[in-house]
Amino acid sequence: MTMRRMLIAAAVAALGTGLAACGSTNAGSGVTSSGSTASAAAASCTYAGVQKELYTKGALTVGTDKPAYPPWFEDNNPANGKGYESAVAYAVAKQLGFKSSQVKWAYEPFNDSYAPGPKKFDFDINEISVSPARATAVTFSNSYYDVQQALVALKGTPIVTKHTPAELKTYIFGDQVGTTSLAFINSAIQPTQTPKVYETLNDVKQALQTHQIAAFVTDTPTAQYISSSEIPHSVMVAQFPSTGEHYGLLFGKGDPLVGCVNKALATLKANGTLSALTTKYLQIYTSVPTIKP
Amino acid sequence: MEAQGLPDLSARRSRILGDGDRRGLILSTTSTVVVLAALLAVFLLAPGSGQVRHTFFNPADMWQAFVGNPKAGYYSVGEALWLNIRMFVAAEILILIAALIVAVIRQSTGPVLLPLRVVATVYVDVARGVPLILVIFAIGFGVPALQLRGISTQSAAVYGVAALVFSYSAYVSEVYRAGLNSVHRSQVAAARSLGLSGWASMRYVILPQAVRTIIPPLLNDFISLQKDTALVGLLGAIEANKAAEIYSDTVFNYSSYTVAAILFLLLTIPLARFTDHLIARDRARRLAGAGQ
Repeated sequence: MTMRRMLIAAAVAALGTGLAACGSTNAGSGVTSSGSTASAAAASCTYAGVQKELYTKGALTVGTDKPAYPPWFEDNNPANGKGYESAVAYAVAKQLGFKSSQVKWAYEPFNDSYAPGPKKFDFDINEISVSPARATAVTFSNSYYDVQQALVALKGTPIVTKHTPAELKTYIFGDQVGTTSLAFINSAIQPTQTPKVYETLNDVKQALQTHQIAAFVTDTPTAQYISSSEIPHSVMVAQFPSTGEHYGLLFGKGDPLVGCVNKALATLKANGTLSALTTKYLQIYTSVPTIKP
Repeated sequence: MEAQGLPDLSARRSRILGDGDRRGLILSTTSTVVVLAALLAVFLLAPGSGQVRHTFFNPADMWQAFVGNPKAGYYSVGEALWLNIRMFVAAEILILIAALIVAVIRQSTGPVLLPLRVVATVYVDVARGVPLILVIFAIGFGVPALQLRGISTQSAAVYGVAALVFSYSAYVSEVYRAGLNSVHRSQVAAARSLGLSGWASMRYVILPQAVRTIIPPLLNDFISLQKDTALVGLLGAIEANKAAEIYSDTVFNYSSYTVAAILFLLLTIPLARFTDHLIARDRARRLAGAGQ
């Protein structure tokens, strides 16, 4: 599920937004990836102040997909406060004055999270990458994690040693549907054979183990986790240079709560909480080599 | 074949429109227009109408999804449909053959063939009872895991077609069997008394009559098969539905699914009309035969 999905489609976004202008409210606002413009309405960012903006009064309802993958969640249980995204959600809740027991989790498949109409959560936290095209359909918070893409393969296969930009093009890649990693394969690596596209990350891992694909691309923390703990004989080959991609919390279009959540994220960034959580859960290995796609 | 005194072939049309007189025509037209207009009004006046139209029916998004742009992370839904068509045609041919074999085995009566009959019966029970999606997963992920040379390195589409053939052959064999049973026993007796062997009477007497009866239900199954090729997307093959999903996940707009739905309709509606045509023709023939 790792939903680092994204963008690139600037031209599409412009087109889509232009057409959207007839009869809908999201004419031009979608092009900023930060949803902070919607914050004007937020009176005060306290427990009492945000009540009228909540999906359920008295509780902060947070959505995510199932299964919830490590290292973003642990034990497929978002409510245990472990894993980076679970911890971030509880930290944001605390900043807004909620107790841990007042945080409710809602199951939200990624494919449904951007459906029109009312949301059944206050925000969705699901490794969703921010992109201008996507921001025409939903509102995103500011970044809570800046993402780089990494390459995972089986030990001893050719791609582990042969991955110059020209060589990379010759492999069969696989990835999860709709992810920014898939977009990265197509836009940056540009392989000569069409990648295989699976429903879940688990399917992708299975395909790698049965040699149906030579490698897959995913965000560095996930790649690190899979290669070190999940698939024996797999290895994180390298990571790719940053494309400016980042994860944002997903809100219903124009949800005013994003203002207070962005303030909370800014506080967590300033007081070092986010980087402490990154160190604790995401184990960024600075020794990972970076290669050009 | 238009024997006199029989309902003409346009009977089918008058059944759709109601009784054929002028007043009926006006009434049926008016009620159709009113119902359609009411539905359209509800759709257009609903509070979220603008948003739904933008999310599901945005022409710009539909066009982008149709032509695709791999560098932006999504593929052409139109091009992906070609894979559906190829899988459908390959599966259909294999199903017609496999299902016939299964049906003939199940209809056989010789004591020597009992083990085959048991196998065929168990196969039909299992293949019809397991959801197609699970069969696709089992074959698509299980066979490659076996690491058999030549078999485990096929494309996702091949495993998908194998799963479709496995599942659909069971259904279609039952259709064949119904067709074979619909031919009266006296036909076999007559054929055998003319000196035809068991096989020859099956080939020249039973099957031709059975197949004519089952063409409409067969086509019905194949319309269903056309749509179910979309499930092969689960294995990583980029067919129309998968391409639409990739588009919608990439830009958060579902219009691509509308494109896929339209393309599937363009595939299935001609087949549905053709089925109707065959049913009407067969009906006319039978009535004509009865009148002689």
